[in-house]
Amino acid sequence: MKIPQVITPERQQRLDPTGRWVGIAGGVVLAASAFLPWAYSFAALDGMTLVGYPSPLQYCGMVLGLLVAGLIICSRLIKPRGKIRVGWVRGAKAAATGALVYIAIIILSIAVELGGLINVVYGGWLALLGAALAFAGTRLMIMDKPATLSHAQIGPTLEILLIAVVMGAALFATAFALNIDDGGTFVSFIAFLGAFVAVLFRVGAMGFLSGASQRHRKVLILAAFVVAFLFPFTQGGSDANMSIATQVIIFAAAAMGLNITVGLAGLLDLGYIAFLGAGAFTAAVLSRSAFATADIHPPFIVVVLIAGAVSATLGLIIGSPTLRVSGDYLAIVTLAFGEIFRITMINLDGEAGPNITHGSNGIPAIPDLALFGFDFGKPHVLLGIPLGRFSNYYFLLLVLIAFVILVFVRLNNSRIGRGWVAIREDEKAAEAMGVNVFGLKLFAFASGAFLAGVAGAVKAHQDISVTPDQFIFLESAFLLAAVVLGGMGTVLGVLVGATLLKLLPEKLRFVSDFRLMIFALLLIVMMRFRPEGMIPSQRRQLEFHEEDEELAERIEEEVEETGALKGAGVL
Amino acid sequence: MEILQQLINGLSLGALYALIAVGYTVVYGIIQLINFAHGEIFMIGAFGALTAWILIPGESLGIWQLPIMLVVGMVTAVGTSLLTERFAYRPLRNAPRLAPLITAIGVSVFLQEFVRLFYGRIPGFPDARRAIPFPQINYVTGPAIQLGPITLQRAALFTMIALVVCWVFLYVFVNRTRLGRAMQATSQDPDTARLMGINVDRIIMVAFALGAALAAVAGLAWGLRYTNIDFRMGFLAGLKAFTAAVLGGIGNINGAVVGGLVLGLVEGMATLIPGTFGGSAWKDVWAFVLLILVLVFRPQGILGSRVVDRA
Repeated sequence: MKIPQVITPERQQRLDPTGRWVGIAGGVVLAASAFLPWAYSFAALDGMTLVGYPSPLQYCGMVLGLLVAGLIICSRLIKPRGKIRVGWVRGAKAAATGALVYIAIIILSIAVELGGLINVVYGGWLALLGAALAFAGTRLMIMDKPATLSHAQIGPTLEILLIAVVMGAALFATAFALNIDDGGTFVSFIAFLGAFVAVLFRVGAMGFLSGASQRHRKVLILAAFVVAFLFPFTQGGSDANMSIATQVIIFAAAAMGLNITVGLAGLLDLGYIAFLGAGAFTAAVLSRSAFATADIHPPFIVVVLIAGAVSATLGLIIGSPTLRVSGDYLAIVTLAFGEIFRITMINLDGEAGPNITHGSNGIPAIPDLALFGFDFGKPHVLLGIPLGRFSNYYFLLLVLIAFVILVFVRLNNSRIGRGWVAIREDEKAAEAMGVNVFGLKLFAFASGAFLAGVAGAVKAHQDISVTPDQFIFLESAFLLAAVVLGGMGTVLGVLVGATLLKLLPEKLRFVSDFRLMIFALLLIVMMRFRPEGMIPSQRRQLEFHEEDEELAERIEEEVEETGALKGAGVL
Repeated sequence: MEILQQLINGLSLGALYALIAVGYTVVYGIIQLINFAHGEIFMIGAFGALTAWILIPGESLGIWQLPIMLVVGMVTAVGTSLLTERFAYRPLRNAPRLAPLITAIGVSVFLQEFVRLFYGRIPGFPDARRAIPFPQINYVTGPAIQLGPITLQRAALFTMIALVVCWVFLYVFVNRTRLGRAMQATSQDPDTARLMGINVDRIIMVAFALGAALAAVAGLAWGLRYTNIDFRMGFLAGLKAFTAAVLGGIGNINGAVVGGLVLGLVEGMATLIPGTFGGSAWKDVWAFVLLILVLVFRPQGILGSRVVDRA
């Protein structure tokens, strides 16, 4: 049976100008609607009831509208120069799609928060109409060729300046997003950010940025850490967001450790949380808490090393017998190991076993850290800005995650990392080529466990108490989800995945009961449609789409151009 | 005598594991998927049986309700299992093995949450966020049978009889029917089986359905034995049952039954271990230690695996 072709090339040629005008009109309507009220009551989202005074979310809508219109206009006015192409139309399409999703989320949020679509006022409907027009219009336009901005250069000074500006914008957006208390507003803003980043990708700006950051890698990393370092200063002494931020970093550090085991070596570990727990319990037992069961209290630096060593030893103990079996078994054995760990921690309560952990009560009242005379429990004032307890831990954790990322990147780009890739892709072939399969697998297990142990030691002090029920299977599943959803084997992907997974539940209190269910659905849908994750490494992407010749060709082309497999792990 | 008592306890517990383990083993034997959600299918079977009892008017505990509960439990479990197969696993048939395993974790969490959130919302149904008392049907529960010094719970006896009946049924099904032989062929070599005219997709569905039906029997038996059910019961039971399947030799149906019984016995005996690391608090630990030991010294399981390592 032949499927009739609705859109023939000729018809598309004919419809292209129409689509352009419709798209521009839609974008303008959307942008203009920002000046009109969208919601009936001030209580919805961030107050969209005024004429002439757009709320922040309305400004975001306006930006998307102007982007659609602007990109379409640029696609006609600016011709490609030499080999360098900008993906104007692609960008416009992404902007229009993003705008439609964004406006739909806003309208739904208004309906949910105020009870019914009746509370959406004419401005909101106009915005939806504009977004729909923009979407329909851009659909009709002919797709242009992919952007090739990654070759463009504008000189080192400007490029470094640009990196700084982008980082600053990222800091501003994060601080803004975290200060949103309302769930609907938060989701809408995240949707806006998603749309905006998608446009940057499609236009080719991201290609340019990644090209620029490749050239100034050190500047980029420095800038990223400066921005992360500046973050507490944007909070004005409030510890609420800092508490979330520290949770996010610990989670991300653990996910990064798991990323070594799962992402690089391809060993599925479903009991990884036990390593974090081992580190946390070690630190707790050795701490100066009144409930600590050990009599020696070494300084924290030593404790961190002991915690890491205990976890790594556990990793070796569980790894050495089981790594000989195939992948599926390993998943179940690690899962069983996670359960053994939890049950053992509950049983070491003085009744069923020796008293080490006080059973399910755990070890409470772990004192705050004091390093080099710096008390992490006390608020400090730096440059006139007050910093609370969690901010102190935040700085320590920044150092920790920098260390974890460093270990990850260095391992990935080494002989060991290449060995892992070989094992992951074909174990037998790797063995035949002389790769020490067993040793490398064991090392992946142990190094991942070590990093988790270190993270756990800090977590114990920051959380004040350590109990066995913090280390249930679901936590392992969450960590794994962060790695898988973000993009196995990448740094950026896993950071983004961990941040989203930890941040969204904090901000989405109104769906808290459905949280796990949404998480589960996300996992299933993601595996179905994008198993390589949000920000995949290209090698992984190829592994998951073996039949996709087009993708293979595209990546090959890119490799020829840049001379390296980009995103094989780093950023 | 304590040993004999624990032997009986262990065997009846093992019978439960065996019933669930068959589901893991048949599915793994054919598509090499650890159906992580199988524990939840078992849980849903128990909830299905409970639903049937709630829907039957009156608070009667007559034995005549048992078959109805069993059938409804089976239908619910099989239905859920087939739905997960169709919508979650089938699209990933040719994906790298990590993908379906992660999907299975997702399905497992999803099913748990589904029951937790929505079961109690049906008017007249108990809130599933807490443990729900399971109807104690006459004759199959009630005063324990005393055999000299040994106490035998009626529900335990019911479980063991159910296992024997199911085992006979399985034996006949797998060895004497066309469908069963097609299943064997598919598990040996799916590609050749397809060439021989076997509808592999259908066989996979049969495998899922078969496992789910037995899991539902286990769910009912569990409810009778432990007197209440909750949405989390599938996790640990499923994990143990998978251990049992590996213990017996994954892909081998008889192995699953033997593995289940051995695991139950080990747990029963572990409670007799004197000293610090004995007692019921440590029995789960010993069960998993056994799993690790088996994987080290006899990865193909007690009866030998029927699965060629195609990894």
